[in-house]
Amino acid sequence: MGKGRPFLEVFTCALSEDYWFPILELLVLLCALWTFFTAGIAGVSGSYSDFITVEAFTHNLVYSFTWPLIIMVGIPIVKNIAYGLGSDLEKGIIHTLFSYPLKKGYILTARLLSALVIPLLLFLGISILGLFLFLPDVIRADPGTVALTYAAQLSPVLLTAGLLLLLALRLRRGVPALLSGLTLCFVLFVILDSIADSVAWGIGSDWSLKIYAVITPNLALQEYYVGTLGLSSQTWVPSFSEALLYVSAGYLLVAVVFIIAYVYFKRSLRI
Amino acid sequence: MRWITLLGRTGTVVLMVGLALIVVWAPPPGSPHQSSSSGTMPAGEYKIGHRGVYRPQTGFEISVESTESVRIYLLGLSSGELEDWRTQVREAYPDLDDMWIKIFTMPLIFVREAYPDLDNPEIEDIMDIVWNVSVLDKGLQTHPEIVVWQSPPSRTLSYEFFPADVLAVTVVVANPSSSNATVRTKMRDLAALAPKDRVILPALLLISIGIALAIPWLILRKVKKSTL
Repeated sequence: MGKGRPFLEVFTCALSEDYWFPILELLVLLCALWTFFTAGIAGVSGSYSDFITVEAFTHNLVYSFTWPLIIMVGIPIVKNIAYGLGSDLEKGIIHTLFSYPLKKGYILTARLLSALVIPLLLFLGISILGLFLFLPDVIRADPGTVALTYAAQLSPVLLTAGLLLLLALRLRRGVPALLSGLTLCFVLFVILDSIADSVAWGIGSDWSLKIYAVITPNLALQEYYVGTLGLSSQTWVPSFSEALLYVSAGYLLVAVVFIIAYVYFKRSLRI
Repeated sequence: MRWITLLGRTGTVVLMVGLALIVVWAPPPGSPHQSSSSGTMPAGEYKIGHRGVYRPQTGFEISVESTESVRIYLLGLSSGELEDWRTQVREAYPDLDDMWIKIFTMPLIFVREAYPDLDNPEIEDIMDIVWNVSVLDKGLQTHPEIVVWQSPPSRTLSYEFFPADVLAVTVVVANPSSSNATVRTKMRDLAALAPKDRVILPALLLISIGIALAIPWLILRKVKKSTL
């Protein structure tokens, strides 16, 4: 027996545990309705006139209609990784999975495929379909900016998923992992965001924004595109290559967090 | 069994996306903005009934009632072509006010096509000839590509229009008959979130694929439940 069948077995188990029928279907319907309605409204009312460049318009359009979708798919990611994996560790389900002829790394991959990759595929599939059907001119005019905006949007989601994974592995209990995960999200995206903004406005220095842009590279991208409007009140106007650097740094951080999580999973869990 | 579950769930997900597309497309396009005009059109003349820029998601419905048979033309230009035509009009009629050029770009181009020898005319001179159906016919002969739609001669008609691309549309009503006509024109703006031609095919495709993938899994699920 190859590795494919046990991997599929673990993956489908995780899938049916993470998404009870018809929870996944309802989530998809909700996400699709939101995306198609907002993209349709943007198609009716969208105008380049407020923006100096097509790139700034494209970035703003893609960003504004994808971030609520990210929150929608973020909910199952938090629940599946923090609570789902935490509970599996608490109940010993993960240890049972170790009896499969699979390396530990594959078991974690199958679990993450269900908890993280499925929501991200839904996000990408639905939003790109929405763009193709309702705003084809945007994709045709500037596919590079669309791809970069997506990359910048997904980096903090992946970073949060990695940190939640570490939390779940460390705490090994569902409810505490979920509560800590929610607190982590609040700290990352509300408190740190406010602190970075306040410091930047308060002392007129851009270092807090630069640090925060590694966690959320979309900030660098937004500051760059807002910079094309020539607003003098901006504290930080990165160049395009700088913005790209922050997106790359964000993914580097994601890679580091996931490597730590995989190593921790392999070493700390015994049969 | 695992594959059936996997494909079945994929099918239900795809089905939901297809249904969402149908829901977005389903609301009947419509908006409260309507306008109507009524007046007498001299025999052998035409007039501009309406002008506006439309997208695939915005269109209009035009209804016409007339005492004589009239023809309706929907003439469309992209913004680049329109600007190009305006430049041509400015060059052909350098003394004309820019406001006239902007409002009457198309008729002025048609006049130039019909009367190429007319050199830098006064607006009063043009006004006598600009609305002749023969001028319109000459213009459309030279630029058949701008005719987006044209009606057969008719006393009553109604037409719903959504452009395939962003288009500056001019609605022209022509009275080619030998008698004056009392023409009543009604325009109603339409808006649809989803362009019909872009949405229906993918929606039907997704729904079909979704159902095909989901049915084996749903049957298996039912059988499993009944045996438990």
